[in-house]
Order: sequence, then structure tokens, then C-alpha cells
Amino acid sequence: MNSALGTSFAHLHVASAYSTHYGVTLPEALAEQAAAQGANFLAVTDRDGLYGAVKHVRACVAAGIRPGLGAELCVHDEEYRPLGRVVVLAHGQTEGRGYAALCRAVSAAHAGGTDRRGTGQRGTGQHGTGQHGTGQRSALTPASTGPSISRAQLADLAGLASLTVLLGPDSDVGLAIARRDNTDAAARLAHWQRALPAQAVVLEIVCHLAESGTVGSVTPATRMLALAEKSGLPAVFSNAVRYGTPDEAVTADLADAARFLLPLAELETPQTNGQAWLKPAGAMRQVARMIVDAGLHDDGALERLLRDTEQLADRCSLDPVSDIGLGRPRMPEARVIGVTGDPVTELWRRARSGIADLYSASGSRAVEAAHAQLAHEMKTVEHLGFASYFLTVSRVADIIRGMGIRIQARGSGVGSVLNYALRTSSVEPIANGLLWERFLSPQRQTLPDIDIDVESARRHDIYREVFRAFGSDRVSLMSMTNAYRGRGAVRDAGLALGLPDAQINVIAKQMWRFNARDFRRALEEKPELGALAAEVRESQQLDLLVDLTARLDRLPRHISVHPCGVILSDASLLDRTPVQASGMGLPMSQYDKHDMDPMGLIKLDILGVRMQSAMAHAVEEHHRLTGESIDLDRVPLDDAKTFELIRSTRTLGIFQIESPGQMELVGKLQPEVFNDLTVEISLFRPGPMKNNMPLKYLQARHGEVSPDYIHPRFEPILRETNGVVIFHEQVMRLFDELTGCGLGKADVFRRHLGKPEQLPQIEEYLREKALARGFSVKVIDQIWTVLAGFGSFGFAKAHGAAFALPTYQSAWLKTHHPAAFLAGLLTHDPGMWPKDLIVAEARVLGVPVLPLDVQSSALDYRVEDLADGSQGIRLALPELVGSTEAERARIARHQPFSSLQDFRDRVNPRRRTFEALARVGALDTFIGYDRARRHELLAHIQSLRGTAVVIRADQLAFEVELPVPRYSGDRAGAITSLELRGRTQTDLELLDLNLAVSTHQMTRFHALFKELGVTPASELGNLPGGTEVLLAGVRRATNTPPMRGGRRVVFISLDDGTGPVSNVVFFHDAQERVGGQVFQTNYMLVRGRTRRSGARGVSVTGENLWNLFDVARQVKERHAVERAAAQEAASAAAYAAELAAHPSAQLSSSGASGTLHQLNAAQSA
Amino acid sequence: MPHIIDAQVDVELSADGDPRAFIWNRFEHTVIGQPQAVFKRTRWWENEGIPTRIDTELWRLDASRGGEEQHRYDLRRGMDGSWVLALDWG
Repeated sequence: MNSALGTSFAHLHVASAYSTHYGVTLPEALAEQAAAQGANFLAVTDRDGLYGAVKHVRACVAAGIRPGLGAELCVHDEEYRPLGRVVVLAHGQTEGRGYAALCRAVSAAHAGGTDRRGTGQRGTGQHGTGQHGTGQRSALTPASTGPSISRAQLADLAGLASLTVLLGPDSDVGLAIARRDNTDAAARLAHWQRALPAQAVVLEIVCHLAESGTVGSVTPATRMLALAEKSGLPAVFSNAVRYGTPDEAVTADLADAARFLLPLAELETPQTNGQAWLKPAGAMRQVARMIVDAGLHDDGALERLLRDTEQLADRCSLDPVSDIGLGRPRMPEARVIGVTGDPVTELWRRARSGIADLYSASGSRAVEAAHAQLAHEMKTVEHLGFASYFLTVSRVADIIRGMGIRIQARGSGVGSVLNYALRTSSVEPIANGLLWERFLSPQRQTLPDIDIDVESARRHDIYREVFRAFGSDRVSLMSMTNAYRGRGAVRDAGLALGLPDAQINVIAKQMWRFNARDFRRALEEKPELGALAAEVRESQQLDLLVDLTARLDRLPRHISVHPCGVILSDASLLDRTPVQASGMGLPMSQYDKHDMDPMGLIKLDILGVRMQSAMAHAVEEHHRLTGESIDLDRVPLDDAKTFELIRSTRTLGIFQIESPGQMELVGKLQPEVFNDLTVEISLFRPGPMKNNMPLKYLQARHGEVSPDYIHPRFEPILRETNGVVIFHEQVMRLFDELTGCGLGKADVFRRHLGKPEQLPQIEEYLREKALARGFSVKVIDQIWTVLAGFGSFGFAKAHGAAFALPTYQSAWLKTHHPAAFLAGLLTHDPGMWPKDLIVAEARVLGVPVLPLDVQSSALDYRVEDLADGSQGIRLALPELVGSTEAERARIARHQPFSSLQDFRDRVNPRRRTFEALARVGALDTFIGYDRARRHELLAHIQSLRGTAVVIRADQLAFEVELPVPRYSGDRAGAITSLELRGRTQTDLELLDLNLAVSTHQMTRFHALFKELGVTPASELGNLPGGTEVLLAGVRRATNTPPMRGGRRVVFISLDDGTGPVSNVVFFHDAQERVGGQVFQTNYMLVRGRTRRSGARGVSVTGENLWNLFDVARQVKERHAVERAAAQEAASAAAYAAELAAHPSAQLSSSGASGTLHQLNAAQSA
Repeated sequence: MPHIIDAQVDVELSADGDPRAFIWNRFEHTVIGQPQAVFKRTRWWENEGIPTRIDTELWRLDASRGGEEQHRYDLRRGMDGSWVLALDWG
């Protein structure tokens, strides 16, 4: 390039915001800024990885500049002595060799860090360890944590002219220079030169114009330049950039505070000044001149430095396609997916045989239709070359099924007959009106995406099996970037300012339901933040906190393993993505979901769904107790009792339809067939809700208005939803009917509906074609209004149908096997409601939850047949707060126990666990289930001294009695444990289990409720609309669903122990009246008015809200006063009677007259 | 001993952005040699509001008035681009 002397400067060393807690500017902003400054090249060299690499390359392509990629890595020598941090840059125009070497170097650094203890978020290596800070002191501390690559490995990878290593101020050479030890610096440099291939080593000159004698001053820079001249090595100039513009230096300060976990005022090595920004060419040249001028360099030194920088940039310019492979998908090799011949032929064969199996029962017409659809789909698959993809996904599905794990495909892939025939998906697409083109078409620009739901409890097993089957050089987990949100942002900003923890906690607790960058506006607008807003006005520091919090919002914070993404590729995978260990030990790509498509990485979402585990548990329990096997996937989809239960709105625990809003909608909609569930689930989405679609649909469904199909030709498309457009598939069909554009093109139009700037073009096309196809202007006007209003909202019917299946299955289980189903819910906790509510539901359904008992409680919730023929659910051991997994495993393993001694010897519980078990009654078995003796039991356990006898698992217990002494007479009363005294079983359970199973925690308030006239939740449904009511209970859920009109509405679900929750809605005016209590009070009394919604639903519009404990106290105080008054009155009456009986008695008794006075006073008051 | 001046001055910059001359007390002082810039960080969190920069810009340079003996000076540039002659080092 000829710009060395011109207006362009090539930055070779730049950390993006994906260098978490270090860089603070997003790659897109950096690339745009560089281009605007006239640069034609920009490298991003994130710390310990390529976290921002794909975003950077794409941003450079968009900005029209050449991308470079590298990473800042720690290096160690053969004896694990740290050699500081270097920048490793990939060479371009090498057919990907440079980029591959860089990926492998980063992976090697993560695999080779000398400490392998770390898990999870260790990956980013910057988490508060402060190990590799900006300061010179820290960079040479032993590489005990964080990623580090050995110099020998780096040398190997740098072979074939793949990489350049920049030795800058943080390298061992630079640190020696900073110590003014030129001899050591020269020796260390010589070592690097010997170790690495020729021309792979370059010195990096950095100067931030800091004060003389500090890091980043001119002196070390000029000495480093002299070292380069002396050793005959090229030197390049960089600014070790951490942010785009000077004003972002503040954010970098915050990042440092967060990295070191110290307030700004206490940072040992804060950034020396605010000069690490992406300076334009002029400013860089100015600094370079000062460096050259500060030392003794020859005349050409300045131009040589800038020219060498430019030349290295040329060398490191990557071609997005030939070097990085952007946009080129790579599937696993045929042999890996068990295919020997041509994948296309194999795919045809498997799909045809699948159709024969699955459709033959439905008649020959269905078979024909399926074959026709398959031919249609295969045309696209062959055209796009995705045959291997489908085989890969179906291979994974086979692997999972082979492990005996429940599996359910979700997403637009459900719309494909091919996926159904391959048994990747279990929803039949043709009869359900699903569309292939919603999933894949030649017009779709992105890689197909099939999501697979599995039992959450088995997800990791599946991952390991997939790694085993495909080979770990072809599989990786995907990562996700976690960005700052309100609470995290305010905590780190508060930390930086040195605010006290307690104060930050109080503020952080209020940071929800708004974006941190809108903090200031939220303070002005939200009534519940009023108190905080007042404090902010008073305090300069809090005022600063508000703005700093906004600064951090949305910045990448750390990466972690994505909950479901598995990347499947061919053997070149590790040349195209760096990997690091995830928390579960398996390698995880440093790229996130946004990077998958551009990198041509095939991602499969294998999502753990707790409901699948819960259902699997229910099926297992049923099998264990009865020997019967239930195949949920073969349960008929038209069971009348199941729909009856759903229509009753007692949907707590049922997949997808258990939230208060869903209960209300189910009540109004009254589903009768499977498709109604698909519709219901699709309606309950932000888009449709905002567009008032539920109301329109319900009116048409219940015959309040007749369906408006606009035109007879639309009727087949809109009949299933009574004329209301709900599904993406309907929009696509409408486009196709109107314009004849084909469904693939129609899906493109559908997606563009969400972009206002596209609408005029679409409208023009549609009007022209529709007129030609015989639609009147009036009809076109009408349908266009509907389509344009639809926007990108709505829901793919494929999603809805895929969700509706587990919804139906879970409802079926709840209807027919409630005990097993609830045991599944309690074990795997799949829903939105806390366990107490599921316990309450069980109580209402006549399935008691049995207390914890070391003789029968297992590691999960088990169904027990009870003496009266009914069934109960036994509380599981993991609920015991503070117990260890090992203790619980020992209990489960050695059950049953013959005595307390036997229990103690075999379980060897810690004192804490032992006592907790006694307190909640889990050891009552050893006192004959006589609760009264629990005091004795606990006292006895507390008096035990010495260690338990350790006996081997296979050994018989010592039959030495460890009887609980039985006290009688006076001593019985003396043995009261303080921990038990005055506490009910419910209190104890809440304390040690966080869950009350014996009775509901609200039971003790029931007398109070009666006195106050509180309506029990179970009776709410009998009240007419508009009735004023008092409700009370414990808060079980808070929802702020999207609402038409945009004003926030708060739903609170209250549980008073009498039945399902009662739902109270607080509108804006009530929220203002109630203030922060609407979110903060957990035990409450509410006054409101009933509102009937549909045949079954009732909710309450809240008007006011009180803390239940306050109310209880006030009532108690009033009682006390009344009692006192009553006593006074009684004694006064007695006195009067006495006076009447003995008129001679003296009236001068001060006590008596005083009482009378008081009484009079009380009466007159 | 440095001599505190603390006076607002007009500064003329070269094409590269370095100070080339400044006018103080109506007299032009011409910069001799390569001036050096130094950026010193501030403890901004002790003040009100978020600053646009976290450092102050100081230029240390040699300059002389007419043919007089050269002095070493510190020039400070404010956030708004205005210049202050801070010190005369003699």
C-alpha cells in the first residue's frame, strides 16, 4: 500500500469490547470509525481469543476496509516461566493457513494454561484475576491462571509463514526495557529469534504519551525502537487500542475496576491516561515523531517505522472468503454420518421408507400427498446441497432416541415432511397445515435451523454421546456472550465508585423492568423509583452512578456455554473456530450464535426442556408402580377428559399454558381440539397481543361477529382461525394467492413486512400482481391493511404445533396420572410456579405430599401407594437445605435404617444435616412417629459426642442400640429445644426445606382472613363481575406482560392455600397509589374489584395493597386494646356490683377510681 | 525553580498538530525543536458528571521570544481547545 506517508494508519493491535473487562468498543463501531478516519485496514486482537473476530470481519466488509485478526496471548517457556503477553497476528492470502494457525494458537493457549482447575467462565481469563493487567508488574507474575501458550507451540504454529508475533511493552522483552535492563531485553529477544521461525518476530512500539517514568511514556518506546535497530528486526507502531474515542476512556476505567474487583481509587495500576484510543493517522504520526525525536535514531527511522507497520498490515490483511471461509457451509463427512454412497441417494431412500411407515395407516391419498411433498422438498435440498445436513440432524436424533431419551423437534423445521419422514420431527406437517418454505427455500439466505427439545436432565449425556459419535474434531459447543444488564451494570459501576455493598444492593434490587441505559429516564418516570430518584438528586456520587451504569449497559461481560447450541462440522472445524473448555468440560467455540451463519457453521439446538424430563419421570414412576408402559407419543390427541381439564383453566403445571395470562386466555378460548391449542399458544405472543388479535379471534370463534374472510379465495387459508391472520404460514399463503409468487418468495416478503422501508416496494408489487390475478381494488386495500399491520409479528404455526404437543401430553398426564405427573413436576421444576404452589395443587387434587422421611424419601419425588388405596408423593431428599450431595446419596443407598445408630453409622451426616433432619421430622421413624418426642430426639442428637463409627457399605450394622432416651414427668417438660419451641411444623419445614408440605403457610392467617372478610381464592370464581373483594396471600408470581397501548400492567398471583392462585392486575393508576410495594411486598392484602373474563375466568383489578404482616399486627394491637377494654369493663362492672352490694365501702381507693376514670375516658373516646 | 504563569495564550499549531508558537503578553514565542506532549490522568470520579476525557494535555516545549534566550514552558490545553501557559521552567 502506498499510504504509509498519507492519511491512513493501520492499527494492528486493537481490543474490541469482546475482550471483556478490557476493551469497551464494539467491533462495528471500531470498523466504522477506522474507515471514517481514512484507514483501509483494521485488525482486532482480542485478549485470549477471537471473541469479536467474526463481527469484526463482517464490520470491515461492510465498512469497505481490509480486516486483520489476531489475539493477545500470554506465552510461557519450556519451564512454564511466563514470557508476558504478545500479539499474535494471522497472515492473509494464505488460503486460510494463517487464520487456522491463529485459531489453533488460541485453542492451545486455553488448553495449555498451566492451571486446569478453572471451569466455566475461566475462559475469558480476565475475570477479576487481574493477572494480566495493563501494569508492567502484573504481566510477569506466574501464569497460574488464565490461558497461556508455550513458546514452542507458538513456534510450530508460526511455521510456513502463518503468523507474526508482536513483542510489545507487555512482553518479557518490553518489560525488561521498562526496567531499563537493556542487556536482559537483548538476551530475551535473541531467545525469541532462536525459538521462532525467521521473520515471525517483530517488535511493537507503543507510546501513550504518559508522564516520564510511568508506563506508556516516550522513553521505553524510544528504547524499544533502538533495540529493533540494533538487532536488525522490523519494528511496528501501534497504539494498543482499548477504545474508539477518548471519551470512552471512562468506560475503560470501569472495565479495569471490574477486572481487578477494586474501586477506581484503589487500583494499583489504573490505565496511565486516556490515550489508548483509535487515533487517526495524523495523531499517530505525531506520537511517532516524538518517539523518534526522544532517542538517537537515524534519519529514516520515522518513515521506516510507519512503512514497516503498513507492510505488516498488508501481510495480515485477510480475505474473508479464501482466508476465513466466510459464508461457506461445511457439513460432517458422509462416512461420519454412516453414509457410504451419495448422500442424496441415501436421503431419498430413508425418506421414502419413512413415508411408507408413517403414512400408510392414513390411506393411499395421504401417502401420495406425502410423496409429492417430499419430491418438492428434495428439489430444494438438492439445489442447496443440504442433503448431508438432513442426514446429520436425523443421525443426532437417532443417537438421542437410541439413548432412550424423549425428543421433540421444534421450530420451522417441523414444517417439513422430510424431517417427519426421517423421524427428526414428530408433528405431521401436511394435516397441520405447516409449510416447508417457512423452513427452507432457495430464496432463504441463511442456513437451516432445526431445534430439538430433549429431557433437560439428560442433556449433558447427549452432548457427550454426540462428541463421541462424531469425534471431537468435528463437534463443539457454542458459546454465548453475556452482556451487561441493569443489575450487573449498577453493581460494577457502584464497585468502581467504591459505594458500600449494602447501598449497591438496595439499588440493584430496583434495577429491573427497564434498560440500564434508560436509567435516568426510568428514575423520572417510574413511581416505584421515587425514593431513589430523590437520593440521586441529593448525591453527586449517585448521580455519577446513574450515568456510569448506562455506560456499561449492553457491553459484553463474559462468555459462557450456550444452553443448547451444538456445532457440527467436518474435520476442519478447529481450523475455523478457536475453542476453550466449557463449564461442563467439553470444548466450546469462542463464537456465538450470530457468528454461526457467516462462518458456515452448522448449529443444532439441542435444548434441555424440563417438562420433557418431568414427563419422562411421570412415565417412569407409573411404570415402577404398575409395570405399565405409557408411550406419550402414541397417546390419542382427542381425549375428551384432557380437554375438559384444560377448559377448566386448572392448567397449573401444564406446559405453556400455566401462566395467569394463559389461564385467562384458555378460559376464554375453551379449546376443543388439538389445533385449538396450537392457536392458543400462537395467540399468546407479544405481537398478536399488541395487535389485539386474541380479542378478534375470540369474537369470531364464539360467534359474536361472523368471520371476515375478505374474499372467498382467502377462506381456505383463514378458515382455521376464523378470518384472523395469526400464523406466518397464512401470510405466506396469502401472498402466494395474491401474487402467485410461490411460497419461497412469499416467505421473503413476510420477513420484509417487519421493515417499514420495504413496505412501499412490496405493496406496489402486490397491487400489480393481485389486480392481474382478478382481485378488486377494494379487496386488495383490505388485505394489504391486514398484511402491513401484521408486520413481522405472529408466530410460525410450526412453532405453535411443536409446542402444542407437549402441552397436550402434559395435560393428558395431569388428567390421568396426576400423582406421577406432579412427582415429575416437583422433581424437575419445569414451570414458572414455585414448588409450594405445586404442593398446594397436589393437595387440592387429593394427592398428599408426604413429609421428608429418611426411610422412604429418595433423590427424586416418588409416588407412594397409600393404605387407603390413593396415592401420595414423598418429598425428595434434595429439598433439605444445606445437605450435601454425598450425604443424600448415602441416605438413598442405605435405606431402610434399622435404628438411629444404624442411620448415623451408615450415613455419617454432618451435625448440621443431622439436626435439620430431626427438626423437620425426617427422623421421626426412630421415635415411633411421635412428634411430641422430637424435642428429646433433637436434644439427644445434640448431645452425641465423638465420631461415628465408620462401617463399610457391605458390612452389617453394629447392633448397638442408640436409643433415644424417654423422659417423663418433670423432665419431659425440661427437654425443650429452643429450635423447636413455639414453631409449627410449617415453620420448621419452611426453615429447612423452603417448602411447607404439612399445611399451607397461609393457614395460620385463615382466622384473620375470616375476620377481615377476605374472599378465598377457591371461591373467587363464583363471584359476579364488579364485586368489591379483599384478597390475601403470598405472592407466587409477578408478570408484566406486553400490553396493547404500551402502558405497563402488573399481574400478581396470590396464593392463600385454598386453591389455585388468584390473579390481581394493577393498572397504572393503582401502581402510582401503591408505589414500590407492587414489586416488593410478598405477603399481602389486596382490595380490588372482580372482572369476569370469558366463561370460567375471573381476575381482580387491584385498587390498593397492604403488607399482610402490618395488617396482622394492627389487628392484633386492636384486639389487645379491645381485650384490655373488655377486662376493664368487666372489672368495673364487678366493682359496681360490689358497690351496690356494700354501699359502705369507701370510694376513695385510688386504684379503683383510676380505673373508672380510664374507662370513662376510653368510653368517651 | 518553575515559575507559575497560568495565563490564557493563543497557540499556533503546525500542520502536524504540534504547537509552533504562542503569543503571551503580546509577544510571539517561537517553539524550538520537537515539543513533547504528556497526558496526565485525573481522578475524575471525585468530580461531578462524566468527563469527556480522563486526562489533561500538557505540552513541554522550548521557546524563545525574538532572539532572546530560550526558556522551557508547559502549555496546557483545555477540553474546549483553549490554551493556558502553565509554567515557565526558566
